[in-house]
Amino acid sequence: MKIEGVYKLAAVRERVFERLLDPESLAKAMPGCDSFEERGDGAYTARIKVGVGPIKGTYEARVEILDRVPPEHYRMTVEGKGSGGFVKGDGAVHLSPEGDGTLLKYSGEVQVGGLIASVGQRMMQTAAKQIVNQFFQAFVKLT
Amino acid sequence: MATKYLGERIKRKEDPRLIQGRGHYVDDLKLGGMAHLAFARSPHAHARIKSIDAGAAVATPGVLAVYTGEELKGQVGFVPCAAGLEGLKIPDHPCLATGTVHYLGEPVAAVVATSRYGARDAAEKIEVDYEPLPAVLDMEKALVKGSPRVHEHLTDNTAFVAKLEAGDWNAVRQDASLKVIKQRLINQRLAPASMETRGVVASYSPGEDTLTVWSSTQIPHILKTQLAIMSKLDEARCRVITPEVGGGFGSKLNVYGEEGVACFASRKLGRPVKWIEGRRENMLATIHGRDQINDLEIYAKPDGKVAGFRCRILASMGAYHQLLTPAIPTLTALMILGAYDIKNVFVETVGVFTNEMSTDAYRGAGRPEATYIIERAMDLVAFELKMDPVEVRRKNFPSSGKDISMATGVVYDTANYEKPLKKALRLAGYNRLRKEQERLRKKGKYLGIGVSTYVEICAMGPSSRMPGGGWESGTVRVEPTGKVTVLSGTSPHGQGEETTFAQIVAEQLGVSFDDVTVYHGDTSVVPMGIGTFGSRTTAVGGSAIYYASERIKKKMAKFAAARLGVKPGELLFRDGKIETSDGAKSVPFGSIVVDAYSAKTLPAGVEPGLFEQFVFEPPNYTYPFGAHIAVVEIDEETGEVRLRDYFAVDDCGRILNPLLVDGQIHGGLAQGIGQALWEEHVYDESGQLLTGTFMDYALPKAGCFPWFHTANTETRTPVNPLGVKGVGEAGTIGSTPAVVNAVVDALRPLGVRHVDMPLKPEKIWKLMKGNAGDGGR
Amino acid sequence: MISESFEYHVPKTIEEALGMIGEFGDESKVLAGGHSLLPMMKLRLASPKHLIDIGRIGALRYIRESEGQLELGALTTHFEIESSSLLKSKCPLLPETAREIGDVQVCNRGTLGGSLVHADPAADWPAAMLAVEAEMVARGPHGERKIRARDFFVDLMATALQSDELLTAIRVSPLPARTGDAYLKLHHPASGFAVVGVAVRLTLAESGSIGEARVGVTGVGAKPYRAEETERLLAGKSPTAKRLEEAAAHAADGVDANSDLYASGDYRKHLAAVYARRAIQRAAERAAGR
Repeated sequence: MKIEGVYKLAAVRERVFERLLDPESLAKAMPGCDSFEERGDGAYTARIKVGVGPIKGTYEARVEILDRVPPEHYRMTVEGKGSGGFVKGDGAVHLSPEGDGTLLKYSGEVQVGGLIASVGQRMMQTAAKQIVNQFFQAFVKLT
Repeated sequence: MATKYLGERIKRKEDPRLIQGRGHYVDDLKLGGMAHLAFARSPHAHARIKSIDAGAAVATPGVLAVYTGEELKGQVGFVPCAAGLEGLKIPDHPCLATGTVHYLGEPVAAVVATSRYGARDAAEKIEVDYEPLPAVLDMEKALVKGSPRVHEHLTDNTAFVAKLEAGDWNAVRQDASLKVIKQRLINQRLAPASMETRGVVASYSPGEDTLTVWSSTQIPHILKTQLAIMSKLDEARCRVITPEVGGGFGSKLNVYGEEGVACFASRKLGRPVKWIEGRRENMLATIHGRDQINDLEIYAKPDGKVAGFRCRILASMGAYHQLLTPAIPTLTALMILGAYDIKNVFVETVGVFTNEMSTDAYRGAGRPEATYIIERAMDLVAFELKMDPVEVRRKNFPSSGKDISMATGVVYDTANYEKPLKKALRLAGYNRLRKEQERLRKKGKYLGIGVSTYVEICAMGPSSRMPGGGWESGTVRVEPTGKVTVLSGTSPHGQGEETTFAQIVAEQLGVSFDDVTVYHGDTSVVPMGIGTFGSRTTAVGGSAIYYASERIKKKMAKFAAARLGVKPGELLFRDGKIETSDGAKSVPFGSIVVDAYSAKTLPAGVEPGLFEQFVFEPPNYTYPFGAHIAVVEIDEETGEVRLRDYFAVDDCGRILNPLLVDGQIHGGLAQGIGQALWEEHVYDESGQLLTGTFMDYALPKAGCFPWFHTANTETRTPVNPLGVKGVGEAGTIGSTPAVVNAVVDALRPLGVRHVDMPLKPEKIWKLMKGNAGDGGR
Repeated sequence: MISESFEYHVPKTIEEALGMIGEFGDESKVLAGGHSLLPMMKLRLASPKHLIDIGRIGALRYIRESEGQLELGALTTHFEIESSSLLKSKCPLLPETAREIGDVQVCNRGTLGGSLVHADPAADWPAAMLAVEAEMVARGPHGERKIRARDFFVDLMATALQSDELLTAIRVSPLPARTGDAYLKLHHPASGFAVVGVAVRLTLAESGSIGEARVGVTGVGAKPYRAEETERLLAGKSPTAKRLEEAAAHAADGVDANSDLYASGDYRKHLAAVYARRAIQRAAERAAGR
């Protein structure tokens, strides 16, 4: 499943870039995030409660930041596992200056497996969009 | 006049209990000390099992045992495959995965607990660490040299290659007058989706050293043999019982790993173990149907006569073979010429391993694919040559008669294809419909008329052609009270043979239909049998019962002749009497029964008692045929297809009970039309099943259909004494291409020559917008 | 298909139910007809620790007319709505919508309130609620409040109902004079849900031109919505075929459309336009006949 989107942020791109890699900001922006810890070498582990309506699940995730080119680009891989199955994601974030602020573009490929994949396909894309939107809406407020 | 039963519209004996919810299924069984089984299944299509931590599961209250594949090694045999093909690769198929999982939903560990809920809860707690491996899903990519393999120890993903060739292909190729038509067709993966999911209760009795298994199966006797082998038990100490079975459609013509595990657990624990499959498991891990890619090449003369037909069949096996997995596409090859006299044929069938659930028999099993191929081919010829599809068919029909030899090597028992076609055209008002279509086209409306003149192969079958024999047993026992018990080695599960068999015996013996009771599905009650599949139950099993009744009659006639002072050959059995044809001398049926059991005076050379058995070996398959016509309307704005009318004229030989024939046709049509319009099992590119529930898998419902107009022609088969051919699968086989042909016919003004199934509205909308080119994938 | 274990509670009154919701909070789910929640629990997608079954609260099951408004208890089943003679004469859009929902079992068990609170993006009721500008009556620890339909649906499976509130009733205004309504949908062949569904209530002015049209759309986006541009283009215009088509073409303007195995976002948007035009047409014809 492909996901992509564009957000406009008021902060300058150096600040956005820094915030995007800051565990504390990420933990705050991520909906349902119980913990977000840096493991060194651009790796993080997180515990996230994902919820869409009555569908709730807790996922243990490992996030890795690769191909870091401050302040404009990085790649991110996510591997999560929980009661509802597993999630694997590989995506890139591009930042470009726009006026006083920053234009953030993200695109990635998400693979969902297990229970959620086989019973939730009709809402999968919409739910993924919702979760990503919630994150960026919260993130925009932080920057 | 004697009471007539055969050919009558008699209501089913089994319906009152089924309709009122008073039947007994596996899940209704409750035994003392019964434990419950649940499985932890793979969430990956292909992965190495790095470790399994069952600690939390074992510690769950009520859990009696947790088993993994390692523990079953050497204790439980592999899941069997009975298909024998030259060069066939059969990978070991353990009941629980060992080392590597090969498809989504593969059982990895089993939990036995004192309650069903406890077993499920504990199964959820089993932690398996997987290392995902590349999943093989695309059959064409799977065949590319050096691509990832489903089974590491095999050289490639090819399970087998089979070729069928006949005729003079040099002549065909050199004939420049022939029009060559090529097309790829996709026969998508389907879920059999019987209303009752699978289920098993295994009860091992340590004192007696006996294993009794209640299973929702179509093949109790084969299952007994196979479970004895898998469990390494003396077969004489194994017994399989099928209670009521809520549908199978071929998916229960199988031996499953879960059954092996249930037997193992019951033996280990010395108590009964029950496993009832959940619907989600049923979608994931009960065999799937179809899944072929067909590349066609048709060589047609300008007048529509087909000179040569080539087809390459790629058939997905899934990861492992189940009982008959590789045999199914070979039936496609065998029946690929359908009802047409085509002298030159070449079919290459390639069985391909993929990281998916196994395919196997699903209503029609290989023949719906064949019929779809050849019936679409006839319409493609009509499209290319701008002919009426009915005319193309007529050009290619063989002359009517018996024992028609086909280039594929099969010999059709009877053929009279014009007869049902004529009847169907009249029933549908074909010419009127074509005129209406022309009128509507001028208004920009899409009306489509689709024809399919199918022939199928059933009444399976001659033992020389069947993996484990194709005979069937029948036993008729007249009880001392004069009531009649019938035992059949078949295992009907909704088809209605409790009724049909009783009709056969009642008419034969001249007793009341209500006095005949049919039993089946208990290996300790029925001496031996093969089962119910391949539209064989009435044709093969019914014939065995017919001949067993003949034996009873012969014996009773001897007793009666002695009493009446006539020759046995002069006697007739009717209305509870055995009498001379003029009715002048008669004796009550019951008094001869008493004679036979009291055995005071035995005619010379006659043993006491009235129980006779017959094993019927069919000399050939039967080849039912028919003509179906579908009429569809397509919403010109949205692409929605509305099935306006459906006409089915089927020739299944002699009709024993028109009500049951109608029932089989109606149900069959629903499933065949379902494939054309709605059904599709979809794995994503990583091998996740996206259609795991009925929210996404579009199983047809009664409300989806118009009333079906059904009719019959009756061309009796010489293959069996009843003249019946079989009708369980005909509706499914004939209908899929009729509907697709109708939709393509509707879109003809747009130049569309093919659309792949299922015919979802968006696909058709895109074609109507003209931006999708051909509708094939 | 076996749920995790849970505690089952059966409140007899609304107050008792509210007490339980307050006490168990996030760990609980309210059970109405159960036709959405129970399958999710059996699949273990949802595993509430406490299930509060409000099904025995008779005070939540009624259809009545009071102070010129029609009021439906939250527990009113789809079938009760479909067969209500009061609704058939005073607000026919609701029975017409109910007719398009699910099978016999779903219609006999499923409830209006349950469906609304569940907020499935493909549910039928939201379109009708938007078209008739229904008011949702919510009860919480601090009393009662009313939420307009257009404020009620917040996002995918999310509503404006607070976690300590219970939806108790739905209020709709009866069909005014010279007004017609209609609900049309494309059924998903598996689930029966709306791939796209459009509900319309349309009032004609004395002159025969369109006074007001309200168009509710479900199935297209993450949440149901009013097709405002379409409504704007209809207001004050005469209902000619061309005008309706032009207006309906905007039925999915600005919507980030859902995409799944059955239908892409583009196709859903196309369907929204086609179904909107047909529903508006039908509503206009009915309005003219009243």
